[in-house]
Amino acid sequence: MGAVQPVNFEALEAQARTLLSVFIAAGYEAVAPETIQPAGVFLNVVGEALRGRTYVFTDLNGEELCLRPDLTVPTCRLYLQRYPAADREAFYSYNGPAFRFQPTGADASHPREFRQAGIEAFGDKDAGEADARTLVLILRAVQQAGLSAWKLRVGDIGLFDAILGVADMPDRWRRRLRHQFWRPEAFRAELKRLSTEPARSMAGVPQALIDALRPDDPVQAEALVAEHLQASGVELIGVRSAAEIAEGLLAIAADAKAPPLKPETAALIDTYIRTRAPAAEAAAALRRLTGKSSNGLAAAIDAYERRCGLLADSGVDMSGVDFSAEFGRSVGYYTGFVFEVLADALGPSSPVAGGGRYDGLLKAVGAPRDVPAVGGAVHTERLLTVVRGGRR
Amino acid sequence: MSTRLTFAVPSKGRLMEQTAEFLAESGLKLKKVGHDRGYRGEIEGLDGIDVAFISASEIVAYLNSGRAHIGVTGEDLIRENIVDADDRVTLLKPLGFGRADVVVAVPNCWMDVHAVADLEAASVVFRREHGRPFRVATKYLNLARRFLSGKGIADYRIVESLGATEGTPAAGTADLIVDITTTGATLAANGLRVLDDGVILRSQANLVASKVADWSPETTKARDALFARLGISG
Repeated sequence: MGAVQPVNFEALEAQARTLLSVFIAAGYEAVAPETIQPAGVFLNVVGEALRGRTYVFTDLNGEELCLRPDLTVPTCRLYLQRYPAADREAFYSYNGPAFRFQPTGADASHPREFRQAGIEAFGDKDAGEADARTLVLILRAVQQAGLSAWKLRVGDIGLFDAILGVADMPDRWRRRLRHQFWRPEAFRAELKRLSTEPARSMAGVPQALIDALRPDDPVQAEALVAEHLQASGVELIGVRSAAEIAEGLLAIAADAKAPPLKPETAALIDTYIRTRAPAAEAAAALRRLTGKSSNGLAAAIDAYERRCGLLADSGVDMSGVDFSAEFGRSVGYYTGFVFEVLADALGPSSPVAGGGRYDGLLKAVGAPRDVPAVGGAVHTERLLTVVRGGRR
Repeated sequence: MSTRLTFAVPSKGRLMEQTAEFLAESGLKLKKVGHDRGYRGEIEGLDGIDVAFISASEIVAYLNSGRAHIGVTGEDLIRENIVDADDRVTLLKPLGFGRADVVVAVPNCWMDVHAVADLEAASVVFRREHGRPFRVATKYLNLARRFLSGKGIADYRIVESLGATEGTPAAGTADLIVDITTTGATLAANGLRVLDDGVILRSQANLVASKVADWSPETTKARDALFARLGISG
């Protein structure tokens, strides 16, 4: 376990004031979300990677709580406490500690407590504009704090969704691949399985029931499952319903008969995932890859290109920006644009700032529907290290 | 430096009786020192050994910290509670009692889930319907996490359960469980079934040595004398 370097608190505070003043001047109200959060809602929405690194504890009333592992979900909850209907546009900024368990021990580059300064925008009407405004503001803030050189990396989860949307396969496979997107290894395994041997084991699955199920009639399927359970003396227990079990059985039956994913479909997905290009050339590269395709995909590529244009118009030098299709896969809630600000001194695994679009998160923490949302945060200790010219 | 070897023995129940029987097979007799309800003891005829009667889970902590040199406890407790178990302790000998399998079990009515891998497809629909991942009730947090992620299952949440884990799916507080079972009868009575490839660990009581205890010449000598009687090469 390495020694944690002492952080100069005053310098960090001064830097935070600079960052916040930039955010506030741009109209982002400074807020202080709670440090201690209810564990349930948090752990349901963050990916397993973050879940395994969250400090969870039970208080004396038996309530399960956690120390926030980032400030985005707490800021979402604060927004919903103010506007339960989630029907307003709102712009928030913050600066405060976040906490993460470090499995191999904490040290200066992997602290268990670090301070994030960031912004979140909820309810935007124009995603491209809001995305560009977020990145531009983060860059202005880190620049104001003294960062003179950086490298930008961008990605777009929306493009992956669009590619998946046009890929020729049953919807249930699309959902499964979408679900696994956050876990590259599992995703590769699933893609390989679907392209070679999509049939799952039928061991233990009642064949007579499978034969009787009609794929086009979920109501009949649910009733048959309930009947079968009753006839075999098995009680339906738990939260999972007979309808879900029927859907699972229908999927197994359909998979057993389904032809594997066409090689060109698997290749399209695989090639997309591997795409790395200068951001300014990525749209053209993707059009070449996908050829003449449906509206959904063309619209997603257009949206990507428009966003690049908006960033360039705002003065972001796009010539050195990298696009990576893989990028954005480590956090479970991003749905669109993702970005990272990298500094040479710290390398690609320790970005100085990062963020992205997460249109599904507010609904997952209690909003009545999906709410457009985009944000970004600065890793303040790293920024200070870089600005002072240190290496880690 | 310790001059006496600490031998940690389960303090109650079948595990204590069976440990005593195991030692008796080699002609060794456990004896309590002082008050009959006390927690210290010795082995008749073997010098230099203090017997500590403590709970099986506490024995793991004693071995991991080096407070005990030798102990009798379940492999499940060792694997669950010591992250780098093979660096901290040596499993010297499985003892043939205290058998229990640590397993993944789901409601019997989940007719579409038989292998661990089937959980993934089910979890996609489950999240769509209920807006949350599967909850896995267990007291084996580490064993469950290691096993499930090793099988590529990621969309679940562990909820710690310190008792009556088998009842949690029917109660709706969890969707599936990771727990120990010996005959499977309790699982069946609670409407649960072990997944086809859902056995995480076939556990039993083991004679375990700490690698981090103070192995002075005196304690090493006491260990060798004990092992000679038990017919174990240390």
